[in-house]
Amino acid sequence: MWILARRGLTRRPIRTLLTTLGIVVAVASMVIFLSLGEGIRKVFNDELGGIGPDVQVSLSGFTQGFAPQPNLPQSTVGDIEKLAPELGITRVTPVIMSVRGSLDPSQSAVLYGLPAEQGINAVFSNVAIAQGRLLRAGDSGVAVVGAKASTNLKLSLGSTLRLNRRSAVKVVGILAKSGGLNDSFIFMPLVTMQAAEGAQNRVSMVAVKLDDPKAARRVADQLAKTLNLEAQTQGDFLSFADRALKISDAVRFGISLISLIVGGLAVTNTVMMGVFERTREFGTLRAIGARPGFVRELVLTESLLLSLVGGVGGLLLGLVGIWGVNLYTQNLAGFDAAALTPRLTLLALVISLLLGLIAGLLPARSASRLSINEALGRV
Amino acid sequence: MSAVSPSALLVTSSIQLQTEALSRTYPSGDGQITALRPFSHTFAAGMTSVVGPSGSGKSTLLNLLAGFDTPSSGAVRVGDTDIHSLSEAGRADFRLKHYGFVFQSHNLVAILSAQENVEFPLMLAGVPPRERRERARALLSQVGLEGRTHHLPSHLSGGEAQRVAIARALVGNPAVLLADEPTGNLDTRSGEIILELLTRPAREGKTVVLITHDADVAALADHHLRVRDGEVTVER
Repeated sequence: MWILARRGLTRRPIRTLLTTLGIVVAVASMVIFLSLGEGIRKVFNDELGGIGPDVQVSLSGFTQGFAPQPNLPQSTVGDIEKLAPELGITRVTPVIMSVRGSLDPSQSAVLYGLPAEQGINAVFSNVAIAQGRLLRAGDSGVAVVGAKASTNLKLSLGSTLRLNRRSAVKVVGILAKSGGLNDSFIFMPLVTMQAAEGAQNRVSMVAVKLDDPKAARRVADQLAKTLNLEAQTQGDFLSFADRALKISDAVRFGISLISLIVGGLAVTNTVMMGVFERTREFGTLRAIGARPGFVRELVLTESLLLSLVGGVGGLLLGLVGIWGVNLYTQNLAGFDAAALTPRLTLLALVISLLLGLIAGLLPARSASRLSINEALGRV
Repeated sequence: MSAVSPSALLVTSSIQLQTEALSRTYPSGDGQITALRPFSHTFAAGMTSVVGPSGSGKSTLLNLLAGFDTPSSGAVRVGDTDIHSLSEAGRADFRLKHYGFVFQSHNLVAILSAQENVEFPLMLAGVPPRERRERARALLSQVGLEGRTHHLPSHLSGGEAQRVAIARALVGNPAVLLADEPTGNLDTRSGEIILELLTRPAREGKTVVLITHDADVAALADHHLRVRDGEVTVER
């Protein structure tokens, strides 16, 4: 059966090759599109434990996205500190965040202000200095720059970074490359950033460290209830990010579905043409004793074989595409945005086979229902 | 895959082929065209020729005998089995087990070699690869093609391809061999070889039905039927 199917496909090699290429491109585009979600998911899962606070308190949770507006009164810090002994809170860090956007993605960075005396390690335990120094008590008008931000914005020790028309900071330290999101961060003292943003006594959120991170859910609920604010754990952030990624996955899958449908139609066309061309041959097979089911399986096998080869080829081309995407995002932000995970590999192969199955159903049905007389030209 | 027992193909069998008031009509406008008038006959072992002009109903008769077409009335019995009472798959199995076919055009599968074409019915029957290879080679040797086993049909002459088709028809050791103008596309010498190959199973006691419009070819048969305007008569 496999030999017959394989030779059936190779009898018109150019047509088969072109159809296979159609599937290769369709599957590759799906793999590349979906690998973006997988890569970002991987970055979040791998790094959040090292970078995020156990609990973060803000005015409106994640509804404002990754960097909330500085609209939370700084007095919240005092309110939380009062509850610290009762809730097992070891550190309370006010944070102000802002995204410095640009039409050129490589010129974008996240500005992150936190109390200089607490230092960057208060929230990001995994950062290390490469050049210069970290933030320290009494600092003002200075910045410590992530490795990628330093390269992209061409900032070196002693450089001046303009935050806006009125404010500028001097670079006093450059962080070692961590391979994570914070490579694109620019850290500065809370007061400096509040002044630049015109947000005196206001913060984006308050980061809370616990002596027992497992109690984060309970503490977050307690803080939210007592302070009438939003309090999220790392798990909340991950599930928020996961929800966002799932929506994004669905949109990207929808886009790739178009190319998959086109690929499927190409398979149907190729297999159907093969059936038309081999009408007499199928009639002969039926005449000498092949059941209708045999002919149906033969045509379906051809369709599945075509899709499987296309699927494997699509995965390989997808890998090349992922490599290209990662080359770009590594250069841009210092992390791999795309990843080919086992579940994506499996999904691509299953979708390819499903595509072959659906595309082959109509030709297989036609072939198995041929009248022997008509197929052999005996009427 | 067919459910036919492999061993069933290897036992020489002699089963009677019979028709009982077999007829075929086709609708045409308001009326009907009679392609075959009711015909009852028992095909004796050996070769039976069916002669008649074009459009007389020869092919209709063969289509009904083979189970390719459904009769308007009557039955085709092979042994105790009315082949038209079987399901589509059942008829396919029955053909595989009891019938061999030789068509005017060799009708070989273009992507399979001569040997693979001959092996094909055995593959359908689930015969193990080694056994079917041996049987196919033996059959190809019997038809004088031992040196051409790996050639594709496109690399064989018309006569050689028809000999492969005969080997394919005989490889399952069928009781009934149906041949429709098997020499129609061949030169005289190749035609003689094919006829010689077809008379062998007839001499071995199989039922060979040979459809032809050539009186010289028909003369080689043991029994003779003539078809004219759908009416089949037995010639003595």
